[in-house]
Order: sequence, then structure tokens, then C-alpha cells
Amino acid sequence: MLEDDLTVTTRDQDGVAIIDLVGDVTTFAEDKINNAYREVTNTGARFVLLNFRQNDYINSAGIAILIGIVTEVNRNNQKLAVSGLSQHFQKIFRMVGLAQYADIYQTEEEALSGFDRFRG
Amino acid sequence: MTASPATTMSMELTLPNQLGYELIARDAIAAFARRLGMPMDRVDDMKTALCEACINAIEHGNLLNPDLRVHILCHVDAERFVIEVYDQGLRRFVPPSSLPNIADKLNGTGSLRGMGLLLISQLSDESGFVPRDEAGNCFRFAFQRSGAAHGCR
Amino acid sequence: MAISDDPAYQPLDKVIELRLPSKLGYERVAMDTASSLARRMGFHPDRIESLKTAISEAVTNAIEHGNQHDEAMKVVVLLTARDDGLVISVADQGQKILPQEHTTPSPQIADVMERSDKGGWGIWLIRELMDEVEFTTAPSGGNQVRMVIHLEP
Repeated sequence: MLEDDLTVTTRDQDGVAIIDLVGDVTTFAEDKINNAYREVTNTGARFVLLNFRQNDYINSAGIAILIGIVTEVNRNNQKLAVSGLSQHFQKIFRMVGLAQYADIYQTEEEALSGFDRFRG
Repeated sequence: MTASPATTMSMELTLPNQLGYELIARDAIAAFARRLGMPMDRVDDMKTALCEACINAIEHGNLLNPDLRVHILCHVDAERFVIEVYDQGLRRFVPPSSLPNIADKLNGTGSLRGMGLLLISQLSDESGFVPRDEAGNCFRFAFQRSGAAHGCR
Repeated sequence: MAISDDPAYQPLDKVIELRLPSKLGYERVAMDTASSLARRMGFHPDRIESLKTAISEAVTNAIEHGNQHDEAMKVVVLLTARDDGLVISVADQGQKILPQEHTTPSPQIADVMERSDKGGWGIWLIRELMDEVEFTTAPSGGNQVRMVIHLEP
């Protein structure tokens, strides 16, 4: 049975911890996303990018997981950005208010250069 | 989280008896099959077979009567993915005296319905009409969940 | 053709009925079925995305709350194609009744971040994304949400 269709991996690019989320973000994603976030935070990441790919399904349970990440990011004084979302989910993120806590970019490259203004 | 292998999963779909709705049924069954982890090529076989079975039900079983319905029942256990297509049987299916073949079709002899059934039998692991007492035809076709039983694989 | 020439003829609503197992993940079947129908009705791709999100939230609620994850219980989805839009009704078997005061939430992210439960966005999303939304009791006694998305001329 396919319980979930999400692959989560992490990598570092120019001091930004990138969490790649490929697939669906629903209730089944909780442990994978939280573990990836904890992993990059434990290695001292200041900048975190959630890079979405092929995410044609994000639901309210997935949004709740991401609000949990935003809460932790604020608590840990990190900066969070989001890239790769479809137009629909960019709209949903703005509606929910996630855009107040994470900059939304079309591409990974734009998000990476977006972090530059926080460096110094 | 995972259901025990013995668990039967089922879904049902009822459609207006109108050509075109078989395409909606196709997308519904494909989503169900993907959810259950059927391999993509088997999902494609299933989609084509389902469309043929629905068109038969709409055209031949229900004689294109727009007030009738086509009912699809899909049940899945550890071994098999079974699809049953029910019509309301304005016309009862009569088995042909001989199996259809492509030469007859090209000659213009033999019905197109037979061609659809031939296609379904090629794409699925088993298929056929199910005898029933009530009015209406029930056509059943099934796929092994391992996929290994299929000759083309 | 002859039928529609009759001025007294009222075309029947074309209803698709889908019955799904109460297991998370199977809302994908409802999403794909509705999107297949909406695409053929001529909805804009953005509107189809909104429809998919709304229907996923409605079916997920039915699975989690109304049917309490009991896989044997069905979620019933009715899709009615009309000239002016698509009507979607999602009903559960009412193991747990949704209080009316929970059908008009207005969550604020700053408040939600203070809570341990970060959820509660589903019904709000449905209301934001659909043109008409109504929570009622299904004929079966379960919860039912009826949603309409208008087809812009």
C-alpha cells in the first residue's frame, strides 16, 4: 500500500540548508519533514529553504506541519524561505498567512540569492 | 498504519448512461489503482479495459438510454484487483458462437462489441460476464496484484 | 435528439456517485474524479486546483471525523454537472456529528502558532475556495457538505 508519496532529502548550498520535498505533503509527511528540519537545525543551520517539487497535493494537514516548522524557525531565530510551489499552493500559502513568516520564491536559485540580504 | 494483506478495499462508482462518462470512470479507477500501488503499465491496461467495458454497458446493455445508470464495483484483496461493470440490461448479453478475430473485423463482419471484449481479455488476467438472476449484465475483469501473471510483462 | 425537442422535457442532472473507503489517501480518488469531470466541463486549471483542494479537505474530514477512520464505512461523493457549474456533495456516516459552530472557522496563523495543534484549516479553506458551501445532515444521518463551483461563461 502506498501510505505516502513524499521523498524528503537535505543538502547544503552556500550555507543554506535545503530541504527538498518531492511529492505529497499530507498527514503522512509529518515525521519526514520534522526529522529533516531537526537534522539541519542540529547542524546549526541559520538559513532553511523548503524546496518543493512535484507537489500537486498539499492539504490542511500538510499546512499544519509547515506551520509547526515556521513556529520552530521563529523560536530558533532562523530564516525560512520556500521555493518551487505551484501557483495554486503559493496562493494557499498566502491565504493561510505562511507568507508572513517565509519568503516565497519561484525557484531555488531566487531563494538562495534572497538569503543574501540577511548575511553580514 | 498499513492495512493487513487480508483486508479487502472497495470503491463504487455510478455513472449516467452517456458516452463520455467512461472517461471520468477511467480516471477514478486509475487513481484508486495507483493508491493501491498497482504498477503504471497495469494501470494503463486497466484504464483501457474499463473504458471498453463501460462503452459496452452504455451502448449495448443500456441501449444508450440516458435515464439509466452504469454501476462499477471495484474490490481489491491481497491477490487480485477485480472490477465489475453493471448495466440495467435492456438487452441481455448473448455469447457469440465463435471468438471474434481481427480478420472478421476488417471484413466488416462481426460486431464491434466483440472487439471490445477481445481487447479486455487481452489486457486483463481474466474476464467474462457473470451469470446473475436479476435484470442487467455484470461484466467482470481482474488483474493479479503481483502483475507477474500477465503475459506481456 | 427527439427528447430534447420536447419543450416539456427537463434534462436530468448528470450525477456521478462515488463511494470510497474511509482511509486517508483515498481522497485522491475523489480529487482525480472531480478534476477529470471539471476539465471536461471546461473549468480553468486554477479553478480545478481549488476544487481539488476543497474536495480533499471535505473527504479527509469525512474519513477522520465523521467516519472515525473506520475503513468499512463509506464516504459518499456526488458530483453533479450542471450548465452553470459543478455541485459536489460529500457525506459521511456520522459516527461523530460536526457541531454547526465548527462550520464557520476563521483561524489566524499567529494564534495557531501558539497552539500545540496547528490544524483547523480544512473547513476554512473549503469556504475560501468554493463559491457556495453549506453544511447539512445527510439522508443517512451523517454529516454532509455541499459545495458549488460556478462555471464562468
